[in-house]
Amino acid sequence: MAPVNLSHRRTHNLLLISKLLNLRDTASPLTLLLDSLEQPATPLIQEYIRRAKLSKVHVTLVAFETVKRPDGCDAIVYTRRKTPAEIIKEVTAAYQPVASAGPSKRRLIIIDAINPLLSSRTVDPNFHLPSFLGAFITPTKPAALKSDASLVVTYHQDIPGFPPQNPYLPSPFSVLNYLATSIITLHSFSHILAQKAARDRSLAAPVFGLEEEQDGVLLGRLDKLVGTGAAEGIVLELEHRRKSGRGVLEWYLLPPASRYSANHVKEIVTLLDDNILYNPPMESAYGADEEPQSTFELGLTDRQRRDREGVVLPYFDAQHGDGPGEGGRILYDMGEEDDFDEEEDEI
Amino acid sequence: MPSQPPLPPLLTSYLSSQPESSLTLISSILGATSNWLVLRYLYSALSTSNSSNAAIGFDESHNGAKKVVLVSFLRGWEFWRAEAKRLGLDLARLSDKKQFAFVDGLSELFCPPQTANAAPSPSPISAGFPARTTIPLRGPPGAVPGRAPVSALPALRNDNVARSPAELGVAKKLHFSGRGTAALDALEKDIIAVIEQLKAANDESEEVLLIIDQPDFLLAATGASMGIGATEMSEWVMGLQQTVHTTALTVAADSPLIHNAAASGNQQSTPVEGEHAAFAIGLAHRASSVMQLRTLETGAARDVSGVLRISRGGGLSGANGLDEKELLYYIQRDGSVKVFGRGES
Repeated sequence: MAPVNLSHRRTHNLLLISKLLNLRDTASPLTLLLDSLEQPATPLIQEYIRRAKLSKVHVTLVAFETVKRPDGCDAIVYTRRKTPAEIIKEVTAAYQPVASAGPSKRRLIIIDAINPLLSSRTVDPNFHLPSFLGAFITPTKPAALKSDASLVVTYHQDIPGFPPQNPYLPSPFSVLNYLATSIITLHSFSHILAQKAARDRSLAAPVFGLEEEQDGVLLGRLDKLVGTGAAEGIVLELEHRRKSGRGVLEWYLLPPASRYSANHVKEIVTLLDDNILYNPPMESAYGADEEPQSTFELGLTDRQRRDREGVVLPYFDAQHGDGPGEGGRILYDMGEEDDFDEEEDEI
Repeated sequence: MPSQPPLPPLLTSYLSSQPESSLTLISSILGATSNWLVLRYLYSALSTSNSSNAAIGFDESHNGAKKVVLVSFLRGWEFWRAEAKRLGLDLARLSDKKQFAFVDGLSELFCPPQTANAAPSPSPISAGFPARTTIPLRGPPGAVPGRAPVSALPALRNDNVARSPAELGVAKKLHFSGRGTAALDALEKDIIAVIEQLKAANDESEEVLLIIDQPDFLLAATGASMGIGATEMSEWVMGLQQTVHTTALTVAADSPLIHNAAASGNQQSTPVEGEHAAFAIGLAHRASSVMQLRTLETGAARDVSGVLRISRGGGLSGANGLDEKELLYYIQRDGSVKVFGRGES
């Protein structure tokens, strides 16, 4: 990657991720987090909540699989035994914008896992996913008290889906993928490093966890993965779709929460390419000027170099083509230190 | 070999301290069953002799003398009682003290409920057949009617009848009736009633540990035709989880049940495989810690029974401080378990 390009990406794409995570300007009304057991979305959701708290955004968690309310969450809506319509109603009710005075407050709605809803058997077959998600972002209530809502939906990629009732309908995952304005796929940093190390050696990339297809293994993630050192953090693969239709693809690294304080305001996400473990700096220009050390004098003095350049080598002479037998002769001028021996040096 | 302490030292910290409303998932495979680990959970929660931690002065409700409700779908009361006895844990006495309760999801799950206090002459069919149709994977010889001579059945039944009043509080038997979430709700109500009984018994410790042994059996036995899928089962677990302090669950994670339907395998999978995989993986996503049991990849060994991998789950309330580890364990002839790291012995 050309360095100019990298610095360009550094400026623009870091700004983009910071805008997305800080929910500024509702840059992305529907963010889809694709996670797996190898790298759950939990740290990223906590980061969302942390940033939302810093900027006083109201956070609602729609809990399909969470039992205890996480810190920093303003409201939690349990979805157990509720129909989608009831969920929407409760979520809308969970936040009452205070009076119309002041700028409308922003709001973050997190769905901790959409899978249970998609594979539920009790849900009405006419359940329409786009309108369900749309109802969170643009409530049907009179728009007088409009609040800017951003929706963050987690989808567990490794939970198998079920064949749709109607074979002509797209799968719910395709629908989600189509609707989302940004998609963040999460990877474990140590796995990314292990895969890169394998790629650099032209080996098949290793797989982890469920993909190992080993009997009895659900999770492969272990703290100390061999050979990755202190690789902490999660890798975010972002696909953002701008309003113009242009897509942005970028890989980021989110450091673990223990590395910064809860009130840290500056951007902590970095480009993956800037990471020293992922992209070790080239060991630049070592030994460009130095020469190997030895007891022999390998250099030339100026005089020696001049003499060497003055030598006309036989094949230059041969190229004149003065006729057969003429070119290619070795002409040698005897110096006074030369000892001419008739018998031996006869030409 | 010297006798092992009932609680392997390497596991004590994992077994005794679970954060509130946490879910621990124990996955097992056919060659590496989870019974011993469940028993260790029982021991760490129920035994009062666990004084080493109390001496340090952590708050004492956290170690030992908690209340435990064990819901088992694959093994009967006799099995658990006998196995716990080998650890020095008298479950019958503990249940008299209202510290422990057993909910039997095996023996009469799919037969119509009988009137309480054992009707004087239960028909032999309802006493004999159901147990045969849901034979446990491994049970004590006496409790498996299939293995007992037919003539012994009436005697066994009489035995049951004689014992049932005393056991009424101990072994609540679950009955599955109806279909869909209504049936699950009924089961949930039964279990919660048992939990509430324990909670109300004496108030010195309110922490109840709920252990559900192989609820995946319920899923496999009912399935889509009964209107029960992975989502409904997860909701059922969640409902129970909300009433207790901590929950531990065991599920099977054998390769066919997980990988045939997982996203990576693209072959056609059966509904059971799909539902089971979705249930087990979904639970792992919710769990705060996952304990995976499996056999050695390199084949059987004389002094290793299997591998225990402890990892953090995906749950939002996950135990962030959990130390991920992979350990080997060896179940000795007398039922005691040795747990050690790789390369140690």
